[in-house]
Amino acid sequence: MSTFTFLLGCCAAVMFFSLFLYVVFGQVTVRKLRKNPETRSDLGLEFASGWDILNVAQALATPSKIHKVLESGQLSFLHANSDLIKKHTNFFDKIIAIIFFWSFMGSAMSMLALIGLDKLNFFS
Amino acid sequence: MTTLLLCNRPLSAPAIQLACNANFQQYSELHSSAPQSAKANTPYLLNGHNDAQGKRIQSLLAPKHISKPVTELALTFGEDNTVAIAAMMEQLKDYNIALTGASTSVYGERISGFAKSVKEYQVALLTYREAKQSKAGYQAQLKQRAHHAFNRMQAQFRAELHMVTSHIRSRRGTPLTSAERGTNIAGSSRNVAKLQLSSEIDAHRLVRLSQHTKLLGNGLAVIDFGSRVGKVHNSYQTGGEWEKDLFRESLSFGLSAGTGVATAKIGAAVLGILVVATPIGWVGLVIGGLAIAGASAGAAMAVNEVTQSNADAWYEGIMGAISGVES
Repeated sequence: MSTFTFLLGCCAAVMFFSLFLYVVFGQVTVRKLRKNPETRSDLGLEFASGWDILNVAQALATPSKIHKVLESGQLSFLHANSDLIKKHTNFFDKIIAIIFFWSFMGSAMSMLALIGLDKLNFFS
Repeated sequence: MTTLLLCNRPLSAPAIQLACNANFQQYSELHSSAPQSAKANTPYLLNGHNDAQGKRIQSLLAPKHISKPVTELALTFGEDNTVAIAAMMEQLKDYNIALTGASTSVYGERISGFAKSVKEYQVALLTYREAKQSKAGYQAQLKQRAHHAFNRMQAQFRAELHMVTSHIRSRRGTPLTSAERGTNIAGSSRNVAKLQLSSEIDAHRLVRLSQHTKLLGNGLAVIDFGSRVGKVHNSYQTGGEWEKDLFRESLSFGLSAGTGVATAKIGAAVLGILVVATPIGWVGLVIGGLAIAGASAGAAMAVNEVTQSNADAWYEGIMGAISGVES
């Protein structure tokens, strides 16, 4: 197995794990928020069903300073309201959100970076 | 060019002569040379086109589970259109593989919307055809419905339609370019179809198309995951390593979808920050949105390709590790 295949395989495994967490987080946390009339309309724009799971995870996992910037612009409707969501979630929800969101984003980005490096003949 | 004759019910030679002006004596069945009458859902080959390629095409289409849907398709959409639609669906599918990744992004939504509207139109055509055949009373209403579905498809997805139909050259138009043509073909109560295939590639496309229509009932819209399942199922049937195929297909599906979503999400965040930091207008937002959709489709495509080519090595690695633990 070449180095590239091995590294890509590690990213793939992390991505797979994060997709598993995506389902767990959706069922445990976001379902609760969707049912709650107070938070229901503040989960951000849903491009496709399930997109709000990402919005909520992003709101919980990114530092609130950065997220406040996202929530203040013209495109604020894309993102979830982090203050409101933090108020309605517990410590456990936040932990899953952080693990899920960063392993998901991290693996996707490292996979793309690896593909990019491979295209530049970095591994040959 | 290979010419095949297909009919959806048993017909005598004179009936065929009447139906499509073809002399049935000139046709041969796969294993007998001079059939007396035509059986339903059996491809008959025109003797003049009796070369090796013609024979191969005939035997490719001969199995009942293939010839039946092919006959039905050819009678519903018209012979030349069926071949064209099969080619088009193939193209749409290629495009879909890239887009399943981005299927949760805006762009993907649009494509699945397009596939859905094509499917709705086709279902409307098939319902109309059924009503016409059973001589039901509400035909005009169903015809109207097919026209409505066509107009909706035209109005919402003009650009996509143009892209997929631009290479189809049919004098009278196809069901996808004209609702009138669609309902005319669907409404005609013919029993015999004369298919003209220029090569085995055409035949293979037809076979795949017929299998997808079976998979999804009336709908022709091919879902990428459907084709992935089809791939695994084929390898299972032919005694290939289907476990490995299943591993490869499901992994590349999951990973490319994940990457597409992640890219779209990051793009949206970047755009959000840009909006706050710079006086970017709505035009800029639209362009930015398109760029993100393109990037996420591209990223998904790249990951799909790379996963497909590396999955076998991972599979071997995992299997090796498991057998190492066991022994």
